[in-house]
Amino acid sequence: MTTKKKRSSTTQNDKWVVIAPDSVADTSKTDSNDPAFVRLRNPATGEASLYLFSSGDSELYEVKAFDEDYHSWFVGQTVQRDGRLLYITPMDPMYLVLPYLIKVGKEGKFQPVQQVVLDEDFPACTRLLSCSRTQASLHHVAEEKEVGSQRFHRYNQEKTMQWLQKKVDKTVKALKMRNISVGGGVKSTTYIRMKQESDVQEEDYLRYAHGLISEYISEDLSKELLNVLGLPEISSPKELEPPSKKRKLSDKPVEAGEDYTKFNSADFIRKPPKKMTAAQKSLAKVDKTGMKTMSSFFSPKVKTENN
Amino acid sequence: MDLSEFEADNTVSCRLSSAIPDVCRTEDCCLGIDEAGRGPVLGPMVYGICFCPISKKDDLKGLKVADSKTLTEAERENLFHKLDEAKSFVGWALQVLSPNTISTSMLQRAKYNLNALSHDAAIGLVQYALDCGVQLKELFVDTVGPAEKYQEKLSQRFPGVVVTVRPKADSLFPIVSAASICAKVARDHAVKSWKFLEDLGDVDADYGSGYPNDPKTKSWLLKYLDPVFGYPQFVRFSWSTAQTLLDSKAVPVHW
Repeated sequence: MTTKKKRSSTTQNDKWVVIAPDSVADTSKTDSNDPAFVRLRNPATGEASLYLFSSGDSELYEVKAFDEDYHSWFVGQTVQRDGRLLYITPMDPMYLVLPYLIKVGKEGKFQPVQQVVLDEDFPACTRLLSCSRTQASLHHVAEEKEVGSQRFHRYNQEKTMQWLQKKVDKTVKALKMRNISVGGGVKSTTYIRMKQESDVQEEDYLRYAHGLISEYISEDLSKELLNVLGLPEISSPKELEPPSKKRKLSDKPVEAGEDYTKFNSADFIRKPPKKMTAAQKSLAKVDKTGMKTMSSFFSPKVKTENN
Repeated sequence: MDLSEFEADNTVSCRLSSAIPDVCRTEDCCLGIDEAGRGPVLGPMVYGICFCPISKKDDLKGLKVADSKTLTEAERENLFHKLDEAKSFVGWALQVLSPNTISTSMLQRAKYNLNALSHDAAIGLVQYALDCGVQLKELFVDTVGPAEKYQEKLSQRFPGVVVTVRPKADSLFPIVSAASICAKVARDHAVKSWKFLEDLGDVDADYGSGYPNDPKTKSWLLKYLDPVFGYPQFVRFSWSTAQTLLDSKAVPVHW
């Protein structure tokens, strides 16, 4: 409604609107701590992201926000300016453990994971090791040695790639099951086609799944995975990129994109009026009787311009 | 005047009408259109039509209907009763456009301005009379915007009807005066007995004329401004009076 006042984005919200699986709130294990939000290093970006440990740290969940402009919530009898919707979804903790394994793995030594998964900036990362899935899937990405009662691990790229490949396969299955549009022309996953796509190839699914998995792994791993999947880095640039319509190189001097001076020149007047868009046409049809014209607010100047 | 139908849901547009006199179905009729409450920032805008056989025009003059603006409220009430009593040959119909309808029309994505809204309400009422079998031959309208354009629009819309659009038609043609009285009485009633949907407790009903330049109206608007929701639906949000106050006093909302 107003444009004068700017939104201050610094306002803190004390409420979140969250969608989470029931398992998050499951505190049946009486002796364990409550579910907790923690900041951990995002495996793809290296920056802090928000995650959630279930009670007893047995499960890891990631927190994602649906955040678009011009949204707010009415919560009970209050208004919440922040219209975000947070999703809490289960996540394989291995994705978060992997960067630490890779980093230490460069030394080539077998080490106990407790010495590997350490982070000054994110001390909570050690809790990842309490997750039931971490212990169960370490062997997917690392070689294991057992000495006495202690276990030692060393990162293994080959194993990791096989593991990621399985992840991609599973994702492809999920994509097919949910009829998600993955073709080249698709701009939005929520777009539902009336007709089934006939020209979607296996490669489209693979590429799409690879893209999804890449949001959870480093860029290096993502590139390597592309190789392993047998997907050329850029298979056909013409299909992937929209056709270039403009900006052809020319010898003419570069002109400013919005050069207002040229509209004052005489030849501009001779040009035929531009075709109106549908919206402009419908606006032009509106009965404006009794309304002031925009120009009437600036009247003396307009008259001189018309001469 | 029974406004209960509108009061049952005062968020929408509502049509009220008299019974159609039998003579209007058989004899050639004239019909007048006028509106009440175009300018105020508060309350509904009411469109009214009145019709009678052309042969009975003089009887209407006998009722001494005159431009509603020159009459006191009591005189208007009195005249409306006389019109209602003359139901053997006079019929009327009203379109009550709630302030909410006006707000949402004017502020919707594809703007629907007040002139268009007015014209469509008038056309809708005339069509209603035709649908009821009124033998309509002459149409008298007080103008909204330039008279010629409106006259052309109405003539095209209702072929076979002689359309006369005039400024001040409500003081020139008794049938338009009659329509203006019906509209004005309905508007007065609606404003006076406005049932607030919002839980405002004991509402201070002293909102003056409802016109933007009335100091009472202005102070009422200030008093009932909610920082989050703005105003009750009684207020036309699309009026610049309301918007200016919202801009300065309410929480900014971005659409």
